[in-house]
Amino acid sequence: MAAQIAQQLLNLITLGSIYALIAVGFSLLFGVLNIIHFSHADVALTAPFLALALMPALAGTLGGASSPAGFALAALLAVAATGLIGSVLYATVIKRFRNAPAMMALVATVALGIVLRELIRHLFPNGSNPHAIPRLVSGNLALFGTSVPLFNLVAIAVSVLCVGALFFILGNTRLGLHIKAVSQDRDAARLMAISPERIFRLTFFIASAIGAVGGLFFSGYAGIVRFDFSVDVGLIGFSAAVAGGLGSMPGAIIGSLLIAGIDTLVQATIPNGASYRLVFVFLLVIAVLVFRPSGLLGRTVVEKV
Amino acid sequence: MSASKLRHPAVAAPRAIALVAAIEAAGALFLRQFLLAEDGRLVVALLALFGAALVTMQRRPALEARIEAAFADQARFATGLGLVLVLLFPFVLEKSTYALHLLVIGQLYAVLALALNFQLGSANIPNFATGASYGIGAYASALLALNWDVSFWLALPAAAIVATIFGFLLGVPSMRTRDSYLALVTIAFGVVIHQLLNNLEFTGGPNGLVGIPAPELFGHSFAAPLVILGHDLPSQANFYYLSAVLVGIAILFARRVHDSRVGLAWNALRADELAARCQGINATWYKVLAFAVDAFLAGFAGTIYAFYVGFISPDNFTFLVSVTIMTMVIAGGMDNTLGVIVGAFLLTLLPEKLRAFSDYRILFFGVTVIAFLMIRPQGLFPQRLRRYGA
Amino acid sequence: MRAAVDAPVILEGRGLTMRFGGLVAMAEVDFTLRKGEILGIIGPNGAGKSTLLNIVTGLYRPSSGEVRLEGERINGLPAHRIVAKGIARTFQSSRLFGDLSVLDNVVIGRHVHMRCGLLDAILRRGRAEAELREAARRAAELLEAVSRTLYAQRHRPAAELPQADRRRLEIARALASEPKVLLLDEPSSGMDDADTDALMADIRAIRAARPELALMIIEHDMRLVASLPNRVLVLDYGQKLADGLYEEVRLIPRVQEAYLGRKAAQHARP
Repeated sequence: MAAQIAQQLLNLITLGSIYALIAVGFSLLFGVLNIIHFSHADVALTAPFLALALMPALAGTLGGASSPAGFALAALLAVAATGLIGSVLYATVIKRFRNAPAMMALVATVALGIVLRELIRHLFPNGSNPHAIPRLVSGNLALFGTSVPLFNLVAIAVSVLCVGALFFILGNTRLGLHIKAVSQDRDAARLMAISPERIFRLTFFIASAIGAVGGLFFSGYAGIVRFDFSVDVGLIGFSAAVAGGLGSMPGAIIGSLLIAGIDTLVQATIPNGASYRLVFVFLLVIAVLVFRPSGLLGRTVVEKV
Repeated sequence: MSASKLRHPAVAAPRAIALVAAIEAAGALFLRQFLLAEDGRLVVALLALFGAALVTMQRRPALEARIEAAFADQARFATGLGLVLVLLFPFVLEKSTYALHLLVIGQLYAVLALALNFQLGSANIPNFATGASYGIGAYASALLALNWDVSFWLALPAAAIVATIFGFLLGVPSMRTRDSYLALVTIAFGVVIHQLLNNLEFTGGPNGLVGIPAPELFGHSFAAPLVILGHDLPSQANFYYLSAVLVGIAILFARRVHDSRVGLAWNALRADELAARCQGINATWYKVLAFAVDAFLAGFAGTIYAFYVGFISPDNFTFLVSVTIMTMVIAGGMDNTLGVIVGAFLLTLLPEKLRAFSDYRILFFGVTVIAFLMIRPQGLFPQRLRRYGA
Repeated sequence: MRAAVDAPVILEGRGLTMRFGGLVAMAEVDFTLRKGEILGIIGPNGAGKSTLLNIVTGLYRPSSGEVRLEGERINGLPAHRIVAKGIARTFQSSRLFGDLSVLDNVVIGRHVHMRCGLLDAILRRGRAEAELREAARRAAELLEAVSRTLYAQRHRPAAELPQADRRRLEIARALASEPKVLLLDEPSSGMDDADTDALMADIRAIRAARPELALMIIEHDMRLVASLPNRVLVLDYGQKLADGLYEEVRLIPRVQEAYLGRKAAQHARP
């Protein structure tokens, strides 16, 4: 029994860290640009496809097409490429909607997500089918009396590392200072010779790259990836960010763990729970929103008149 | 509100009547040719013609004003002629069941787009759950018919009421949350409904519901060919007329609400919610109301769809259906009834008529939305200012 | 205009306090407004002037204290109910319904005087239409009375109006609800002297036509403050510094400090 609980707890933390990688992106972009980037998860989920596409090309240089090292390198390149995709999408499309009514930005980014998914479906060979994702690490580790899959530990460790790095960048570097300055007062930042556009592109790069790591681990955890995985991932990641309070990074993490908790609980206790998990996740989010409209850690925004 | 005679350039009555008749006839002829076109090149040529007409109108505002004035002056004649054309249209389709089928689907989408227009167009509330309301209407009526032998004519209002209740429920979170969160709530609602339909036993799971009986009216089954004055039309014609009536009701709805205190209040919310509240507008109530109206009309459309095709499954009512409806509203022109209907027909027919499009249909919808929002956010037919009869 | 002194109180605030998190935006402010009176509210930026307006109009809920309109407590009511009770306002940065016609803006101002709901609009069309036509007629009348230039442009989208006309339209829209109290938030901001003179004439004309109407005006333009209000309320750091006739209030050293800064105030004194 105890072993089972430990097992579930491990699943929860693994899922929670993976979700957090997506959720912090939503929260970061909202905090800095005041935009909800509904296609964030679709950008993130291009990473596993990019990695798969890069593998054959790398196989020549590294030997052994599906060796873990080969995949790790492909994944790393995919993360960088995904970051670039994010900032290119910002510069070409999303930028236009920054000062438009919220509804337009929302609809445009939802449509952008559809375009990305469909592009993958049409451009990737057999794009409509699920594709197997090699696991970065396999094997188990004996820990606390149970055997723990190494993959889970790596996923958790990398997530903590990524989110930690993000916190470090935001809190301790010049770039972080500039991001804060731009998000608080664009005009004042411009006066300090900070180019808001450059900061926005960089923020998109960071959010998309972290999301890409999340996308890679998500598909690695599932063992497969399909072009429309990003729908669920996006809904879960955005829900986590909203439940925690959009704009708050710690909120995004707490929200992710909470949603992973619900997810794990439903799958463990309800027969056929996997097909209902989104139902419960959304019930949780709606409940949070009804009782705390700004999310658990979100600040109540007072509209300036 | 159409009696705005004094403000328009005067057009002599006979010329106005001729102009109205010419335009309506041209529109009907265009639609007929488009529906019956088999060659892709012909379809493209017709589209080019349509585009050219739009550009001409854009370039020559005087012409547009004259047409508008003619329609305003001869509103009764325009409506009457329109009705006659709608009534006669199935007779000129060479008994093509495919063309009639496309018309039925196009009209159902026109109703759905008009439903969403109340929210997206009038009040700027992004609702990604119209497809779900459509599904709720379809399932509610199908279940009533299959389990309790409820007739179509009773199931129709009953399903609309069920859909409206769900619409109210969906609107409730809007009392507390901001627009962007509300969008999440509507997406979530759509996904939840889809998952429930897919997993619940009484909805038939992924297989859906089959064997929904065709409606009957005065002993005439809608599954049978329609015989009018010795002319017989394929059975789809029954549903063509039925959905045409629904489109008519939706247009009436849209017009009346637009020209009322409610339509004004929605427009005020669209422009500036805070300022609207400070004019005494109960923002929460009007938002919930918009959700209810959307769901009500979508429920009607869902019922007709269920009884038309005879079987439904969860995949008929996915998130992508909602996005399709949204594309129609945005491309056609938000808060413009004619524009929304044109958008619905165009985006229903285009993927069917151009094979190249049908594979890339969803991609095409996505790109269309982004392109319109970036280049022409007002859509093909921009909204019009209200003109009071003074 | 001095007659307002013994007119009955129409609006009063008692002990109004507003906290945002740890920040105190307003502390224990009292005020009264009498029928037919014009109360000017002055103070440096961030003094809490707009906060006061937002509390009165129900956009903010005060952390403590109460607002009474004709003796009835209104704080805690949502903004749209307060409009129905008879308080209307304008905004500092004009918030018109830009994509609607000038006339529609004023018709929307009459929202609280219309009754027809969705079902009326659909099922009892004649009634809904007659109501709207009547509202449009009265809105046009009001527009004509407020400004002939606005009236002439009533079928244009509001967003196309020049700045001074936008401010006029905001006032007309607020008047359309037939308020007992009208709150103007920096009506002269962004206007040159000529426009401000025209604005003052407009406000006088509005008052002349509605002797019972009470006004609260937030202002920075001292010409306007000196000539229009019966009484002036000075706020600084969310607290009430003074309340009285402009000629008296402007002589109080603390007011001068708040307004001009300490040094300048010392220089200004003889």
